[in-house]
Amino acid sequence: MNIITITTFLPLVGAVALLLHAMFRSKQGASREKLNNQYRWITLLFTVVTFLISLLILVAFDPAVAGPQMVQKVPWIGALGVNYYVGVDGISFWLVLLTTFLMPISVLASWHIEKRVCEYMLFMLVLETGMIGVFVSWDMFLFYLFFEITLIPMYFLIGVWGGERRIYAAIKFFVYTVVGSLLMLVAIIAIYLYDGGTTFDIVEITQNLQSGATAIPHDVKVWLWLAFALAFFIKVPLFPFHTWLPDAHVEAPTAGSIILAGVLLKMGTYGLMRFNLPFFPDVSREAAPWVMALAVVGIIYGALVAMVQPDMKKLVAYSSVSHLGFVVLGIFAFTEMGMQGALYQMLAHGVSTGALFLCVGIIYERRHTRLIEDFGGVATPMPQYSTLFLIITLSSLGLPLLNGFIGEFLILLGTFTSDVPNAKLFAVLGCLGVILSAVYLLWMLQRVLFGETSKRENAELKDMDGREVAALVPLVVMTIVMGLTPMLFLRSSQKSVDNVRKAVEVKSLTRTK
Amino acid sequence: MQLESLNLNYWAIAPELITSLAAVLIMLVDALSKRGARKANAAISLVAIALAFIAIVQQEPAGSYFNGMVVNDPIRLFFSITILIVAFLAVLFSSQFVRDEGLPPGEFFNLIMFATAGMLMLASAGDLVTVFLGLEIASITTYVMAGYRRYDVRANESSLKYFLLGSFATAFLLYGMALVYGATKTTNIAAIKTAISTGQVLYPSLLLIGAAMLLVGFGFKIASAPFHLWTPDVYEGAPTIVTGFMGTGPKVAVFAAFMRVFADSFGTWQNPLGTQLRGTWLAAIAVIAIITMTVGNVIAISQKNIKRLLAYSSIAHAGYALVGFVTQNFAPVAFYMLAYSLMTVGAFAVIQMLARAGDQKVEVEDYAGIGFEVPKLSIPLSIFLLSLAGIPPTAGFMSKFYLFKSAWDQAPLMRCLVIAAIINSIISVYYYIYPIVVMFFRPLAPGFTRPRVSWATAIGLAIALAGTLYLGLLPDRLLSAMERSAKTQTVNAQVVAR
Repeated sequence: MNIITITTFLPLVGAVALLLHAMFRSKQGASREKLNNQYRWITLLFTVVTFLISLLILVAFDPAVAGPQMVQKVPWIGALGVNYYVGVDGISFWLVLLTTFLMPISVLASWHIEKRVCEYMLFMLVLETGMIGVFVSWDMFLFYLFFEITLIPMYFLIGVWGGERRIYAAIKFFVYTVVGSLLMLVAIIAIYLYDGGTTFDIVEITQNLQSGATAIPHDVKVWLWLAFALAFFIKVPLFPFHTWLPDAHVEAPTAGSIILAGVLLKMGTYGLMRFNLPFFPDVSREAAPWVMALAVVGIIYGALVAMVQPDMKKLVAYSSVSHLGFVVLGIFAFTEMGMQGALYQMLAHGVSTGALFLCVGIIYERRHTRLIEDFGGVATPMPQYSTLFLIITLSSLGLPLLNGFIGEFLILLGTFTSDVPNAKLFAVLGCLGVILSAVYLLWMLQRVLFGETSKRENAELKDMDGREVAALVPLVVMTIVMGLTPMLFLRSSQKSVDNVRKAVEVKSLTRTK
Repeated sequence: MQLESLNLNYWAIAPELITSLAAVLIMLVDALSKRGARKANAAISLVAIALAFIAIVQQEPAGSYFNGMVVNDPIRLFFSITILIVAFLAVLFSSQFVRDEGLPPGEFFNLIMFATAGMLMLASAGDLVTVFLGLEIASITTYVMAGYRRYDVRANESSLKYFLLGSFATAFLLYGMALVYGATKTTNIAAIKTAISTGQVLYPSLLLIGAAMLLVGFGFKIASAPFHLWTPDVYEGAPTIVTGFMGTGPKVAVFAAFMRVFADSFGTWQNPLGTQLRGTWLAAIAVIAIITMTVGNVIAISQKNIKRLLAYSSIAHAGYALVGFVTQNFAPVAFYMLAYSLMTVGAFAVIQMLARAGDQKVEVEDYAGIGFEVPKLSIPLSIFLLSLAGIPPTAGFMSKFYLFKSAWDQAPLMRCLVIAAIINSIISVYYYIYPIVVMFFRPLAPGFTRPRVSWATAIGLAIALAGTLYLGLLPDRLLSAMERSAKTQTVNAQVVAR
């Protein structure tokens, strides 16, 4: 058995186990309370085991190889040339690890859920399989399949277990994402047919497109690039396609927000690195100034909107728009530092924004409000919580020695040295986003944690319990580890990222000739 | 005429014979038993359908029999398989239906079997006369089935409307056939093709007018816009099981005949007339496809009644299938219709269960909160709806993918159709997830009682669900078989043309 396949489908096995357990145990008349606890522990067990197995990928990973490794390739639909082709490269395997790392934490974060626990956990496990599948697919068809499958569990997580306006948010999330992905489907079909209609193999198609063996007229390429880009821009989300994100985040349960911000958004930026850049280097090159401009608008706009949010969760959601803007900026800088920084920022954002949502969730469970004005002086009753919240916030705003700094610094440096037109201007404007993020995050922190404990309810808040510590501490440790030893992460992704970058660079040279 | 030249081969019409004989047998059993032997009749029907299935799969690969009246080709094979699956599921579902409603069971199974015989004949028709015969047998039986709940005003309205408008469309079809016969001196579909490609058409304008009439007739039967206006009323008024049956079976069968007449016979470009004819109907179908998809999807958004919603959705799906039609290759259409039939019949069966006797609860709002209450019905319904919306890993996705891929590949001029279909799929997602939203995200309405689900219904649902997921996950066997026969067929066609 291939280790990637095991990692991908183990959560699905867990889902089946959960279902069987529910079918047999509920007939025996065990109490609701007891059953719910069993569901939670089973899910936690499966997510933890998945994480441990995914660590084996880390051990077996060879940083000297640029292409996919640990692959498994089995014919699946011969009539269409579809293969079950999975594997990891330097870009995807960190994202797989991020997913498996965040899942047990999300399960811990949803421990308090009492409504239909079995179904909830079922959707979580299916979602994990879908997300890992997106990152490990090396067949366009398979990729699309997983990309769409992640939609349904997330849709239910928001729609059933969400807040007040959950139905609106769930439908908006679903429709927005489907719009993008169906247009991407056309592009996938078109590329497949231009390539000869025999394979969906990403590696092969990338080679054919880059070597010119598969020639596509330039104007068609532009349309195909746009179709892919739209799907991923909506997912990222890049300004102006971001409007679904705040709604989805605010209404989603805490774990849903962690997964959404931590992993689902990365599917967009990952897609850009996997498809748009290697498939259409020349179009990406032409589009780069425009995309960077949108990214910068997103950075500043997201930060400004975050600043005036009265709702903490919405604030964090808009900060995601801003931070993901950095990732897109870095990808389209086409420099090694920019792209490596973008990948690093994806991981850092997953960890620290996931942790921020968790922090918001922790006090939301106690007070059932997320409005900043309802808090103040929380540090006095909850010292442990406040310390961890502070570290997470600092990492999110990019304090050196914590993870947020490395990514943003590399991205800005990479953008500044980029040869894309106006890149220097974008870098300078991007710096503005760093400053603004310090403003809105610290301001929020000041209003929530510090000052006088003005409200009586806040004075009696309990500090974190063991479960919450178990969920939050790994994230905090991770931010520090990532901040101190960036090379551990950067080195193993270098080859694969460089491969993408070279494609863009070489193509640009041939065009100028 | 010598008997040899007729090429009599009773084995070639074995599926039609078996189903017709079963229908006669059911009538006898019904007449001789006191209280309408429901279970016996259902069993006879199921066995007959299974035998017909074996007969169709065991047919010799190709050939035409009975003086060209019946042809045996891949179109027949794959469309007949779909028809028989639909009939099998319909029998399973209607067993509970006739009991719950207290309707006489004998006639109902008898009608299903005759309709199946008609549809099979339509799928194997090699002559315009057999097309007409098959169509009439299938149509008249479904008119009666639509009004089977005869104390119900809605069913009566549905039946009458279907009958009147259906007859009108049949008249168009018949007139078209007469004109084509006048132009080409033959009613044999293969001979018409030869006549067009060798330039032996006496009155070219007659042929064009006849083709237009045929297009109207077929367009009505598959419920494509602008000939779709009967669909919502008829689908809403008919008993839900019948709606599921007539929304799939006859449509599949008509698509087979439609493909044979247009894509094959009128699809030749050998002669200036052939090129003109082909170009004209291709353009017409392209326009019809776009209108059909758009009308179906856009109107479906505002529907509050789930049966009407699915009626408009079935209009939209006819539009998608027409996108495959322009490839003149049967494989994507056949695969699409199979997937569509499985999910539509399944969805209507669940709706029947939830609506209960007399179709009381057919508003989407009636489904509020039942999602977790009756998961054995709501989860299959959700899967069918997601499949209709084309979300993987379901049959709906795979069939759409294959269809769009074929259309994009084989009809480069028609790529705008694929884009239109994709945009329509996006629109459709909204109304397909609406019942799911109501079922799972809303609180349960008070006074909800769980519907009773019989074993036969449960088995039928399981088959439809398994089929939907099987075609979505492991379509390789069927797709490869279809691709292979599609290739040999085009090779044959080219040989004949030379």
